[in-house]
Formats: sequence, C-alpha cells, structure tokens
Amino acid sequence: MSRSLFFSFFLHAFFICLTALTLPFMLRNPIDLPPIVSVEFIEIRDETNIPYAPKARKIIEKVKKEKERVVSEQAPPADIAKEKPDRISMPEDKKEKQELKKKKQNPEEIKPQIRQVSEFEKKELFDPNQIAALIDKAKEEQAETQRKNEKLTQSNVKNSFAKGLSLSEEDALRAQIFGCWSVPLGLPFDEELLVRIKLKLKPDGTILKSEILDHARMNTPGQSFYRVLAESALRAIRICQPLKVPPTGYERWKNLQLNFDPTEMLKG
Amino acid sequence: MKKIFFIFLFFVISFKNAYSLIKVDITRGNLDPLPIAISPLHVDSKSEKLSLFDTDKLGEEISKVIEQNFRSTGLFNPLKKDSFVQKPDIAHLKPRFEDWRLIKAQALITGKVLIKNKKLKVEFRLWDTIASKEMIALSFTTTPPNWRRVAHIISDKVYERLTGESGYFDTRIIYVSETGPKDRRIKKLGLMDQDGYNVKYLTLGNELVLTPRFNPANQLITYMSYFKNMPRVYLLDIETGIQEVVGSFPGMTFAPRFSPDGKKIIMSFAKDGNSDIYTMDLKTRIVEKITNHPSIDTSPSYSPDGKFICFNSDRSGIQQIYVMRSDGTQVKRITFGTGLYGTPVWSPRGDLIAFTKVRKGRFYIGVMRTDGTGERLLTENFYQEAPSWSPNGRVLVFYRETKSGTKGEGFSAKLWSIDITGYNERQIKTETDASDPSWSSLLSK
Amino acid sequence: MRFNKALRSLFIVLFSTLIISACSTAKKAADPLKNDVYTGTETVEYLANGVPDRVFFATNKFNLTTAARDTLRKQATWLRKNKKITVTIEGHADERGTREYNLALGERRANSAKDYLMTYGVSGKRLSVISYGKERPVNPASSPLAWSQNRRSVTVKAN
Repeated sequence: MSRSLFFSFFLHAFFICLTALTLPFMLRNPIDLPPIVSVEFIEIRDETNIPYAPKARKIIEKVKKEKERVVSEQAPPADIAKEKPDRISMPEDKKEKQELKKKKQNPEEIKPQIRQVSEFEKKELFDPNQIAALIDKAKEEQAETQRKNEKLTQSNVKNSFAKGLSLSEEDALRAQIFGCWSVPLGLPFDEELLVRIKLKLKPDGTILKSEILDHARMNTPGQSFYRVLAESALRAIRICQPLKVPPTGYERWKNLQLNFDPTEMLKG
Repeated sequence: MKKIFFIFLFFVISFKNAYSLIKVDITRGNLDPLPIAISPLHVDSKSEKLSLFDTDKLGEEISKVIEQNFRSTGLFNPLKKDSFVQKPDIAHLKPRFEDWRLIKAQALITGKVLIKNKKLKVEFRLWDTIASKEMIALSFTTTPPNWRRVAHIISDKVYERLTGESGYFDTRIIYVSETGPKDRRIKKLGLMDQDGYNVKYLTLGNELVLTPRFNPANQLITYMSYFKNMPRVYLLDIETGIQEVVGSFPGMTFAPRFSPDGKKIIMSFAKDGNSDIYTMDLKTRIVEKITNHPSIDTSPSYSPDGKFICFNSDRSGIQQIYVMRSDGTQVKRITFGTGLYGTPVWSPRGDLIAFTKVRKGRFYIGVMRTDGTGERLLTENFYQEAPSWSPNGRVLVFYRETKSGTKGEGFSAKLWSIDITGYNERQIKTETDASDPSWSSLLSK
Repeated sequence: MRFNKALRSLFIVLFSTLIISACSTAKKAADPLKNDVYTGTETVEYLANGVPDRVFFATNKFNLTTAARDTLRKQATWLRKNKKITVTIEGHADERGTREYNLALGERRANSAKDYLMTYGVSGKRLSVISYGKERPVNPASSPLAWSQNRRSVTVKAN
C-alpha cells in the first residue's frame, strides 16, 4: 500500500517537473509562416449594364460580334461617303460573311440587321407588335440603340461614343493614347489639370489641325505646369498618329476633342 | 412591307442624328521615362587651348554630365549616342527632326562651347522633336573650371521645361565622411556636388562631427562637434573656413538647423537629463527657449514659410513627431502609428514631412502630410535614417548602415537617394563611408 | 525483488528530475540579459577593487535597475572616500535608434547616474556629464547582446 503510494507520488512529481521545466528537445521550432500575400478580387465585367429588353440584347450581342470584327481590321475605307441607303438587297447567306469582312461604307451592311430579323423570323413568329414595342415611346431609347446597332457601323460608332459602352472604339482610342502619353511628373495635386485639345482628323487617322482650347492658360504666370502638361498631351497625340479611328463614319468623328486629365493618375 | 418599314426608320433616324463633336476623356497615361537625346556639344574651333583639361573633349564631357543627371532621375531615358545621325555642329544650327524622331527621341539637347579670353561660353538649345520646334535657347559665360556647374544648370533648365518642376542638379550635399573601426570612427565634414564630384573635406577628423546642415544662402553650415570634448553646435563658413561655436550654452547643444530665412539657428539643448528646443538669432545673438517640457525634444525643422516647426518628442512615452507654431505654442502630435518616429524634416515645398520610423526592429524612411495623414513608407532596411530633401521636394537623400559581425567587420555606411514616389532608389557613390547627408538649395537662383 | 523495482523507478525519476533542472540552469547562465538590461560582467571595468565603473539600461529607457543602484552606491562610497577625485559620467546608447535622439538619451542616462550619486552625498561639482549617443559603442557587433552592453553609463576618472 505505501509502496504504490510512494510510486504514485514520484511519478506525479516526475510529470509535474517535466511540464514545469521544458527540456530543450521538447521545444517546438517556431513555425515558418509564409508571408501574407494580399489578393484583391476584381470583378471583371465585359459589358456595362444597359437596360435592354432581353431579346434586344441577343440581337445587340450578335451585332457587337460582327462590329468588333469590322473595327479590329482597322484599315481606312477605300472610298468615302457614298451612302446609298436605298440599296437594300435581300441577303444571301454565303455572301454576308465575306461582305462583313470588307471594310466598306457599304449599304450592304444593312444585311446583318435583316439577317437577324430573318433569324428572328425563323425562331419566332415575326410579330409587328414586338417591333412596335421596341419603338414604343417608353422604350424609344432602347429601340434606337438597337436599330443603330443593326445598321451601318458608322451609327454604331456614334452610338458608342455617345453612350460610352465598354470595349468600344472609345476604349481602343484611349488605350492607344495611354501608350503614347508620357505624363509629366511634378504636376501639382491641387490644381485644375484639364487640357482640352480639339482635333480635325484626316480619314486615315492623321491630324489635319490641332487646337488647345485653354490656350491662354499656357502663358499665365504661376501656371507653368499647365504649359508642360499641354505640350505633353500634344506630343502624345502626334506620336500616336495614325489614331485608332473607326474605319467608317468619317463624318462623325472627323472632329474629335480629347480631354486630357491626369488628376486620377496623380491621386493613385 | 418590312423593307419599307425599315427604310423609313432608317431615314428618320439618320436625319435625327446630329453630327455632334465627339469628346473622349483621356485620364491615364504612362510613366515611362521620356526618351531624350543629348547631343555632345560642339566645340568651336576658334576656342583657345587650356592646360587644365582637353578642351576638345569639353563638349562631350558636358553632355555626359547632363546625361548622368537625367539618368539618375529615373524620369528620362537618355538615348545612346552611337545612334545619333547628325553631327553636333549641324544639329545645333538646324536639327533634322526626322532623324531624331527615327531613334524615338521626343526631346533633343544641342549646344556649342567657346573658350575665349580665358572665359568659357556655353550655348545650348532644347528642341521638341515631335512638334519640330525650339523650346529653350540660352547661353552662359563662366570660368573654365566651372564647366560642371554649367552642365548642371543646363540640366536644371531642361528638367524644369519638360516636367514643370524646378530642378535639383546645380546643388551640393554636405555629409559626414567616416573611416576607421566601428567603435572608434573618424568623422570629417565632406562637401560634394550632388553627383558625387568635387569632394572637399572641411574638417580634419580630430574630433567627432555630426549632423551638418546647409544654410539657405549656401555658404554657411551648422553642425555639431566634440571639439575639446565639449559637444556643441558650431557654424562654419565654407568660403572662409572660419568656425565658431553657437552661443555659450552650459551643456550639450545638438541637432541644429537654420530657419528658412537663414537668420536663426534652431537646435536642442540638453541639461540635467532634459532636452529642449532653442533658437538663436545669428545677428543679435538673442536666445529663445521654444519648448518647455521634461521630455526629450529634438530634431526641430522649420516649415518653408517659417511659421511652424516639426520636431521629435517622447513626451507621450515614446518618440513621436509633433508640430507647433514657431513661437512654441499650439503643440500638436501628428504621428500615431505603431512603432517610433524620428528625424522629421519639412519639405521645401511645404506639403510633406519626411521621417524615419522604427517598427519591429526594422527602419523605414517615409513621408506624410503635415497633419500626419497619408503616411507612406518608401523604403525598409536593417538600419537607415535622417532623410534630407532635394530643393524641389521630390527626392530624399538618407544614409544606411549594414550589420556588423562580432568584431565590427562588415560594417559600412553609405548615402542613398529615393524619389518620393518610392521609385528610383539608388546609392550615391562616396569615396569613404558616409552618413548624415544634407542637401543644399539651388546654387544659382 | 519488488523493492528493487521500486528503487529503480525512483532512481529514474530522480535522475531525470536532476537532468531537467540542470538543463534549465545551463540555459539561464548563457543569457546575460534580464528584462532587456545587461547583467553580465564582460566589458565592465573597475574604478577600484569591487567598484564597477558602469551601469546598464533597457532599450529606450534611462531608469536604474536594482543592480545599477547597487553599483552606484559602491561608486558613491568610493567617491566619498577619495574626495579629491572628480569624474565624468558618459552616457551611451545602442545603434538601434536615430542619431539625435540617442544623443539626448545618452545625456539622460548619464544624468540618472549622476543624480543617484548625488543623493548618496557626492557633490555635483565633482560630477560632469557627457553624452556620446551611439558614437562610441563598446561592442561593435550588431546583436542584442552587443546592444545591451552599449546601453550604458560609465563613470570615468577625470583627474
């Protein structure tokens, strides 16, 4: 009885000592944590949220795809301004795809629209009411946009500039100038830094005439940074020639105004 | 039926479309260094020969100094000279811009050098190769040994014209040159051009010298010396070499700086374990006590308008940065982050305060707004401190020390500079180890 | 037989307990820092027999530890016995701080020692103070041990 008590006491003491005083080999190595890498979740949306009617969206998407193909080929149209809107011929499915690839200000490009409509027809019964709904006063905006998308690319261009859709020619032009514009450092953070340059362009995207709208400010004392900024913008435009303009619709974009404002860049 | 309908619609809509002016917002550009071509300056054949140096090479040497200045900013990309098509003399008269555009130059510097009547005359032009026009045309006359300063002044003019910022090339840096073992360092005051040339030593190294600072007028320096084993603040006139102790304080004075108008010295005075901030007027010799607190108050620095002082105090228990009016009233703490803060220095632009921060055993150089917000740490190291501003408030020079082994081996101290954006960190070459750098204002105003 | 077994277990237990306690003591002897203050005797010199010339401080601190007070009392006794001697008290800091603040901190540390000596009857006129900040480390290494040895206030004979 006393012996087991004896044993028990010593075993207890042993374990207490063990836990109270740490043996060197029992020390754990500090865990080598990898450095924390912060990951930012960026939502990528490839379309802006335009409240089109669902059917209209389908049409628009289809036309967008065609349009993108046309835009990305970039060569200026062979001849200019020979719009003959009365020449609407019935589409032939084979020819269509070829014609679309040609960059011409050709009224034949009305075809896609008609094609869509025919597909439309195939899938659903052509309902004049739908069209009516589309051009209904309440949804006139949507209809107009849809119509424009279905028509000549020039109207697509006008539409995109006016509405500022993402992945449009506007973005292409912006991206092009981004590469050419060396923003001068040393601009003051707290001043108005907008430089507006009006351009008259040639059909191939080169500059015919350029004009700085706030010209007087360039020579104002105390605003020497403005002159530097304006000159950098002009340099950017000149280096970037020929500008990424749409291949068609010259009349629409031959007068272009570029608003340079590096304020956002300076803040970040 | 459908056809007619669509034709009708088309007409309606196409006539509705007004051809309004399309406006596109450009809110982003790139920060790529601007490609600039610096043509070797043409040396006029009528130039006299000098014994000092090879005058034929002078044009090239000047362009090399300009090139090195621009390369060190990280904002310009000086193009390689072997790609230049036009010869220096023709380029200076009428550059063929297409040739320069071909090598992607957006700006071009050309010039001419003439040595006559023992005087050096330098002419230079800055051209916009994209717009095909001249931007600046200036000329300077000086003595031949000053040719490096001409190159620096040209660099400043071009830098200002292309960035909108004033330059910082025609400046000097005063620092402490260090040699010897780590526990018995020999320290001397060193003075050099900002690009490391024209080094001059102003003291002999017989006593410890620390923290030298420039006067805005540039020919006076204030620093701390252990002359006769009495650590005090001194004044040194670079031109005459005359040194004098500042005031007659019955104790250690240290951490000196000048006021922006150069008329006062501001420093710390330590007595009986307490360090407070004092000023002394250099003309009247009147001493004013600015802080009155049992804590350590040191490292004072004036705002460029002279109305405020930022300083280092441990009145909260740990080193932090405070701002007060220059008469000592309205003391306000501006740093609240973890770690400790020291060496506050007000930017010559008045918009930022640079500082040293120590956190978890690491040293940081950073900048913050003068109210303490917008703290940005620019660089981290085992040991670095004491930032000093370039005169245009864009670049900081500071020093770094390395770890040393059991006998002090492996120890070194070097000067470094960094842009306030955190980019373009680079070492400034000095012939010895160096610490405590201070940047002068522009030598030519 | 059972007794032997019991005895054996006892010995194992006792033996391991001794080993454990020995291990822990060995660890302590290697670490001369206590609460960030150097407690060793390397770098310490002596003004006289049994009178250490320096006291040590914790990082960024200037208050005296019990050991420091003990050393200073010995210095005070020695100074009261040798009335003709004047001393300079040097205050130092480690390299892990900014230069200017370290000058002030060194001055504070030196004054801590001076004030304590004065409370033990040494006249202030015999005690002058100088700070070297981090300029004169006694141990040039970059290690916590070296830094703790450099955070010191040293009493040096002036005459």
